[in-house]
Amino acid sequence: MTTTTARPARATVHVDHRRRYARRARIADLIVVAFWASGAAAIALFLASGGAGQFTSVGEAITSLGIVTGLVGTDYVLVMLVLAARIPLIDRTIGHDRAMAVHRKLGKPALYLLLAHGVLLLVGYGISSGIDPIAEIGSMLALPDLPLAFIALGLLITVVVTSLVAVKRKFSYEGWHLVHLLSYVAVAFALPHQFSNGGVLAEGTAQRVYWIALTVLAFGSILTFRFIEPVVVSLRHRIRVAGVVPVAPGVVSIHLSGRGLRALDARGGQFFQWRFWTGSTWWHSHPISLSAMPTDSSARITVRDLGAGSAAISAVPTGTVVSIEGPYGLFSDAARTAPKMAIMAAGIGVTPVRAMLEHASFAPGEATVLLRAGSEDETYLWDEVRAIAQAKGADCYVMVGERARRGATWMTQHDRERGVSLTSVFPDLLDSDVYVCGPSGWLDAVEADVKRAGLPSHQLHSERFDW
Amino acid sequence: MRTRTLLGSILASIGVLVVGWQAGTTVLGTTTVATPSSSTGGATTGGSTTGGSTTSGGSSTSSPAATPTSAASQTATYTGTEVNTRFGSVQVQVTVTDGTISDVTALKLTDHDGKSVQISNRAAPVLREEVLAAQSASVSNVSGATYTTQAYLTSVQSALDQAGL
Repeated sequence: MTTTTARPARATVHVDHRRRYARRARIADLIVVAFWASGAAAIALFLASGGAGQFTSVGEAITSLGIVTGLVGTDYVLVMLVLAARIPLIDRTIGHDRAMAVHRKLGKPALYLLLAHGVLLLVGYGISSGIDPIAEIGSMLALPDLPLAFIALGLLITVVVTSLVAVKRKFSYEGWHLVHLLSYVAVAFALPHQFSNGGVLAEGTAQRVYWIALTVLAFGSILTFRFIEPVVVSLRHRIRVAGVVPVAPGVVSIHLSGRGLRALDARGGQFFQWRFWTGSTWWHSHPISLSAMPTDSSARITVRDLGAGSAAISAVPTGTVVSIEGPYGLFSDAARTAPKMAIMAAGIGVTPVRAMLEHASFAPGEATVLLRAGSEDETYLWDEVRAIAQAKGADCYVMVGERARRGATWMTQHDRERGVSLTSVFPDLLDSDVYVCGPSGWLDAVEADVKRAGLPSHQLHSERFDW
Repeated sequence: MRTRTLLGSILASIGVLVVGWQAGTTVLGTTTVATPSSSTGGATTGGSTTGGSTTSGGSSTSSPAATPTSAASQTATYTGTEVNTRFGSVQVQVTVTDGTISDVTALKLTDHDGKSVQISNRAAPVLREEVLAAQSASVSNVSGATYTTQAYLTSVQSALDQAGL
């Protein structure tokens, strides 16, 4: 382990990160509360249209439960759409990856609720009209819009099953994504029967107005932030590939040109979804962090050819048109909660750290950086990081070598034996925001170590580079 | 989840549910109240003797009647009040012949949504048969069609009240 230290006199620039975090946390709390309240609201819609009077017989009780599960299940699906819409407010407060984690968690409950909706209504209506549930399917299909609803449920089952971890692994990302887009069709197909057959959402009721508003919100945010805004932004900034420069074996920096790129308002450490419009790469967008802060007319990303897709984009010709979605992510100084910064990066994970260090405002001595590489070949952009650290008065440590084989550690065998620890590198660890970026295995080891040291989870910001 | 978020979520959810519950109780209160329609009573053709003087009830001339029957059978129709439910309004017309209920016709049935139409179309014939058999509005509920049943019978009862039965 070597040290490059630069410690000019400590300045008194002071931003109250705790207060800013408290504000952000309040908004995040409100979002979570709104989510749970929307589930309750779905039940309330039903109660408001008849209350407990709808549970007087067995058949009626089952039917009522079926309606409630349908309402709550659909509410969850709409919430999932909102979470996947990459709404700036949600990305800024809880972060895109946490929003997507919740999105994934909701998938199965939503499907179970909607399956229960179908089964309970078949049984409930069946009991009421004195026929078995299977025969009731026929009578159901005779209702307007019900055939579409059955198709919607089938599509939803397909979407959720292909998203189970075990099944998802068998698909290419593109294939899986294509199937996943069917969820829009499923939600759209399920809509008509809610309004034509649902007594709760009958014409002229307040419930109908609320439900339409909810649907418009979900589809509107998808349309706005996943389709319209990316197109507008891409057209406005006219980004093109200006050149591809090799950084190390298998790693290239892609330099981009464009107009008014500062107006993108990207923070160092954030990423964009990039789409390179060549014959072989246009159908796949890549989440890639900026590796330097954009100027008004140029930007830079640095990629390692991890997957087939990345290899193809490292060979895009100069002049290729590029479209973007973003900026996304909370891996930036906007997420700070504590007075100091402890930054750790491994391998290609150095790219967002390089941009963050350039962009973040901190007083000399406030930030400490640890760069980690498996071998000297993987010390991508380290010179740049060292130069910025020196200029801004951040301590910069490096550690090169394979991870120790025994035990879960993020260090080399040599450094571990020397007694290096998190707190020896970052003495003010518990007063710091810890930013970690690197491959999953290494990152897991760091996270475990950081938690063992007693760091509150809101002070840990990590970005996984695997895929 | 943070305590504040958890508490906030629980409170907000309970609040929303209570509001829904309250709204539901109010709705229930109004659905069971029969609202008299403007045409009540006025639309009845009480007292008019239309047809059937020779066909129903037997003729008074040909056979030496064992029972003293009136000269002609009296048929009248009475329109019940319109009863609103959250699935739509229900209104029936009762035909009374010689003091007995001879027919019940549904003028309006719950029709707010597809399922309601299906339910009321199934319930109406059953209710008609039961009312004709019982000769009153005191008949049992058609399961799965509670709203339609209650509204239907309320409307029948109001028509019977007009008929004085």
